[in-house]
Formats: sequence, structure tokens, C-alpha cells
Amino acid sequence: MTRPAPAAPRPSLPPEDPATPPGAFERLRELLLGSEARELANARARIAALEEAQRALPERLPAALAAAPDADHAGRLAAALAAPVSAALGTAVRTQPKLLVDGLFPVIGPLIRKSIAEALRSFVADLNSAIESSLTPRGLRWRIEAWRAGVPYAQVVLRHRLACSIDHVFLIERESGRVLWHAAAPELAALDGDAIAGMLTALGEFVQDSVGKTSGGGLESASVGEHLVWVVAGPAANLACFMRGAPPPQLRERLQQRLEEIHLHLGEPGGNGPDASSWAAGLEPGGLLSAADAALPAGRARLWPWLVLILVACAALGLWVVRDVRWNARVAELQAALATHPGFLPLGIETKSWRALTIRGMIDRDAPPLEAVLARADLGKVTPKLEFGRYVSGDDAIVAARARRLLAPPAGVGIAVADGVLSVTGSAPAGWVAAARERAPLIAGVADVDFRLAERLDRAAALQALQRLAARAAELQVPFAEEAEPAADAAAVLAAIVAVAREAAALAETAGVTLVLQSVGSNDESGGEAINAQVRALRARWLADALAAEGIPGVEPVAGDPGSRRSAWLRIRIEPAP
Amino acid sequence: MTAPSHKLCLLGDFGVGKTSLVARFVRSTFSERYLTTVGVKVDSKLVERGQLGPAKLVIWDIAGRDALDALGMNYLRGASALLLVADGTRESSLASALDLLMQSRSIVPRAVAAMAVNKLDLVDEWEVGPAVLMEIRRSLPVFETSALSGDGVEAAFADLAARLPA
Repeated sequence: MTRPAPAAPRPSLPPEDPATPPGAFERLRELLLGSEARELANARARIAALEEAQRALPERLPAALAAAPDADHAGRLAAALAAPVSAALGTAVRTQPKLLVDGLFPVIGPLIRKSIAEALRSFVADLNSAIESSLTPRGLRWRIEAWRAGVPYAQVVLRHRLACSIDHVFLIERESGRVLWHAAAPELAALDGDAIAGMLTALGEFVQDSVGKTSGGGLESASVGEHLVWVVAGPAANLACFMRGAPPPQLRERLQQRLEEIHLHLGEPGGNGPDASSWAAGLEPGGLLSAADAALPAGRARLWPWLVLILVACAALGLWVVRDVRWNARVAELQAALATHPGFLPLGIETKSWRALTIRGMIDRDAPPLEAVLARADLGKVTPKLEFGRYVSGDDAIVAARARRLLAPPAGVGIAVADGVLSVTGSAPAGWVAAARERAPLIAGVADVDFRLAERLDRAAALQALQRLAARAAELQVPFAEEAEPAADAAAVLAAIVAVAREAAALAETAGVTLVLQSVGSNDESGGEAINAQVRALRARWLADALAAEGIPGVEPVAGDPGSRRSAWLRIRIEPAP
Repeated sequence: MTAPSHKLCLLGDFGVGKTSLVARFVRSTFSERYLTTVGVKVDSKLVERGQLGPAKLVIWDIAGRDALDALGMNYLRGASALLLVADGTRESSLASALDLLMQSRSIVPRAVAAMAVNKLDLVDEWEVGPAVLMEIRRSLPVFETSALSGDGVEAAFADLAARLPA
């Protein structure tokens, strides 16, 4: 902040001389400077009035501007305000864009909505027209055309509705921008093709210099409304095509192709090239469009979708057939396995390939389970559903199983069925044998019974038989003539003792006991006691040795009681098994 | 048989009257706004050359500048003729035109060239003296032109056209 300059000092008057009359200098000042002082006072008054008017201007300005349109100088005011207001608006746009956007939002929104509504209305009208046309001969023709060309129906409709027309075709020397060849649609007025080609070249240079430096690209197309410019660039010349409507995509490819052909004929840059008529054929607007239409990939576009579809369908069909064949083969194997399964009578199988399988049939309760057969069938994720009824099978294996279930044979009994004949073999307790003999002929499927059974004692009976044998053994006395010399009939008694001992040994296992065999020697009352004891021991030894010789070892010789008779006998003592 | 076309570029400092010369010579197709946006405006005119036959001049009016940038260089490519324009009332514009000629030679070394010293209608205010013009005429043709009156305009373009190949 700068400090205001100090006020200039007023010219000072010399100090009054005492001799000078009072007020003389004031009068002199009045005489010398009176007029200037009055002008100064007037100027100050005017400045004060102007400042007051300046202060009042903000209050008066709105009313003055409001009254301006009615005044005669309204035009002047508007012209005077145009420049500063425009500048102010420009400054506001640059410095406060958001403020302007917010202010214009209520205006722009309805405008945009209205524009979109108009566009949609036009689109709906076109769509209605297209839908209506789809049922007319022309619409059907377009549909066939779309089908043949392999493009959507809408694209064909648009192609016909927005029919493309080429107005101008320029072949432009790339370096100089000169027109090498130019053709225009016949109905168009003549124009300065050289100037247009030059400006187009300059625009291309401008675009490339502005935005295409890094990408290496240039102006390829430009559009204004329905007007469209395509530029196809070549090393020596560019081809520019001015069009209206929607050009077919094949057109650019056609232009590129023709430009490549043209480059084969072009002369040195800067020259005017050979006669254009020798190589410009086909560059006329009509020719280009015809060539672009002809370039539609009609054949392949028609066929390849169908070929792909057919291939896919064939592949799907083949896959389905293979799967079905595999399924049927597995079901057939399962049917064969079920047909030979004993005790099962298959009535039918219902299948849905790889989805469901139902087996119906009759099954005997003694048939082996089907789970193993089903597991071997390898049906994937399909769980077979079984619907069975009961029946009685006459199959030999099932009849045998039934006989085993009903007869419950003990160990040592074999049961078999052949041609309906039930064979029961082995040995069994007498009670079971008797019951089996009664029940076996009544078993379903048994035509005849062949019992080849040895009756077996049970434990109690065996024990009783043992006791009887022990008593019998005690009665069999081997007679002796003298001391340890057996009597003449001793051999017969010994043979009886051997038979008893063998039978007892056979029964001991059934009775579950252990036998202790002892040979007991006896003597009569004659002789001394010592000699008699010796004689009893000799006779007991003799019998033990005789039994050992007959195959019955382990007989313990013991001396018997004195004073009975001259003999030896076998004592069988029955003891519980250890 | 169509007339051969030749690219002719106008070069000169800002405000020397290039666009006015072109406007006097041809009936413009495009707006002068291109000069301030794209930096060039293109027109064409068919000129008669006597026995040489007609030729079409495609005239590139390149926006005024005292030095050529990359874009200006691109605009020059392929030019067959150069018309350098100077303002007779500004001697500095003559030096600029000669500088532009020197620069353009790297792009178009074989292009024919001529100098148009414009604003002949203000000849009293000319800073360019006859001695200077005489000196320049030793190197290239010089035409004193007035876009306002049209004096010398046709002659300048005709001279360039006459030196272009048939």
C-alpha cells in the first residue's frame, strides 16, 4: 500500500510588517487570486456533483436500462452493449463454466429430450414401415435377400431404405493434391473439382499434422449429415469418394482394390500421368456401387452357416447314436445276465437311454440277490428300478437252496438236487434223519428223494451206549489155564473185547468223553497171596499186550481183586473230556 | 483432352494481399475462414497460354507467415509454381518473401517462381525502391501488382503459367 503524497505546501506569506495595515495581504490576495479561487470552488462543486451522480448510478442504472427499449435510442444502447456483453459472456464461459451449465441446464434438458423424442419418433416410423413391409412381397424379397447374404434382415432394410449414392469420385495425387481423375454422378452440377481436391488434401494434411502424428494415420472419412467422404490413401494417390446414405461395407474394400490397381498405371509424381481412360474404368459412381454389391460374399455366406449347422447336427446325432448304441448294448448284456440268473424270471425291461431303467420280473425268495448283476451292468448314473413278483422256481439250484433252508441239515450232511431228485448224503443224528425223511418229499420242486444217510447218535445216546459197552466189557473174562497162559477159548473172548473197545472209542467222540482203558488181572482162591498178586499182574499185562497187538494201545494193566476166577478183562472207565 | 493442372502456391508475410490477389484472379469457391482454420485455401482457374495450350492452375493460398512451419511445408509439396507476394509499403515483407522462397526450395527445388510486389495503388507510400526491385529482377521475375485495381495481377499469373510444362 502506497502512502498518499503529502499535500503541497501552500505558498506562505511573508510575516506581516507591523507597519503594514491589518488585512492588507488578504485584500492583495483577493485582488490577485480572486477569480481563480472562484473557478476552483466551482470545479469542486462540479466534482462533488459528479461523484454524487456516480454514487447514485447503481440505483438509477436498472431503471434506466428497463426504460431503454421504449426510448428512441434503444438500438444504440443495444449496439453499445453488444460488444461488452459478448466479451463478458465469453469471459464467464471461460472462467465460470459450471455456473453457465447450471443456468442453462433447465433449457438444455428439454431441448435434448425434444430432440431425442423426434429421433425416436422417426425411428419408430421407420420400424413400423419395416414391419409393415415384412409381410409384403417386397419384404419377403428382402428377407430372402438377407437369408442368402447371411446378414440380418434389419441390415437389408436399412440398405434399401438408406440407399447409397455416390456423388463424386476423385483420384488425387497425394503429394500435390491435384486431381488426376474425377467422375461425378450425371445429375449433379459441375463443380471446381481441383479446388475441392486441393482443400481435401489440405484438410488431410491438417488432420495428420494435428492429431495423426503419433498414430501415422490421416483423414479416412468425414461426414456431415447424410453426406459422407471416404478417403482411401495410397503411396502416390488417394481415392476420395463423396457419398450420400449408407454405403455398403464392401465399397471401401473395392476402392482399396481399385486404388492398388491404379498404382500399377500411375506415372511419376508431378507428372500428369497416362491417359485416365486406360485405367479409370470402373471408378464411375455407378460402377463402384455395382462392384461393391457384386462383392457380397454370396456363395460362402449362404452356405457356411448351413454347413456349420449341418456339421453340428451330424455331430450331435452321431454322439446321440453312439450313446444310444452303448446303452442298448449294456441293457442287452444285463438282460442276458438276468435271464440266466437262477430263481429270477425276467418279464421285461423298460429303458430311457442313460436316464432310467425299470426291470420287471418274478423272483424266488431263495434266489441269490440281483445287486451283483446290476453292478456289473455299468449303467452310469442310472439307478435301476426293480418291480418284482414272487414265484416258486423249479431250478435245481433254487430247489437245493430251498431244501437247505427248510431242512436245516447238520454238519456232515450234503444236499444236492439234480433233475428234481433231492440227494441227502452224509451222517446225521437219528432224530434229524427221521424228520428229514418226512419233510423232504414235501419241498416244492422235489420230485424224488434219495437218502444215503448214516444215522448218528447224539451225545446222551452215545454215553448210554458207552455205559452199556463198559458193562459188556466187564463181563468178557479171558480165561487162563495156568498163571499167564490163556485157556483154549481165550482168543474168542479177546476178539469180543477188541470189538467192544473199538465201538467204545467210536462213541467217545460223539458222547464228548474220554475213555480210560485198564486191563484187570484176576485169580482164584488157591495159592499164596504174593504169588497170586504176581499172577494177576501177569494176566493184566498179557491182556494189555494182546489189545495193543490188535491196534488198541494205551491200555493200562492193573491188578484186580483176588479170589474170583482165573481171568483177565477190560475195564472201560468213562471220564469227562478235558 | 483435358488441360494439365499445376499446383501454384502463394507465399508471403501476413497482410501483403495474397488473398486479395487470388480473389482478383479467380472466383473463389471456399470461404476465407479456411485460412485462419486450416491455414490454406485452394482455388483453381483455367488459363490460356497461346501455343502451349490451356493449363489449370490450382492455387493454394497459404496463410500469411514470415516462416514456414511443418504444416506449411506439407502444403507446399508437389507445387509446380510459387508466387511470392510482398507489400510495397513494407520493405520488411520483401525480405520475408525472399526468406520464404529460400525455405521452400528445400521442398520444391524445381518449382518456377515469381515475385508480386503488391499495393501498387499506394505507390506513393512504397518503401521498396526501384533499385531494390531491379536487383531482385536479376534473380526472378517481379511484377508490381494492385489487387485493388487489378494491375499486374493477370500478368503475374500468366507469366508463371507460361513457364509451366504443357
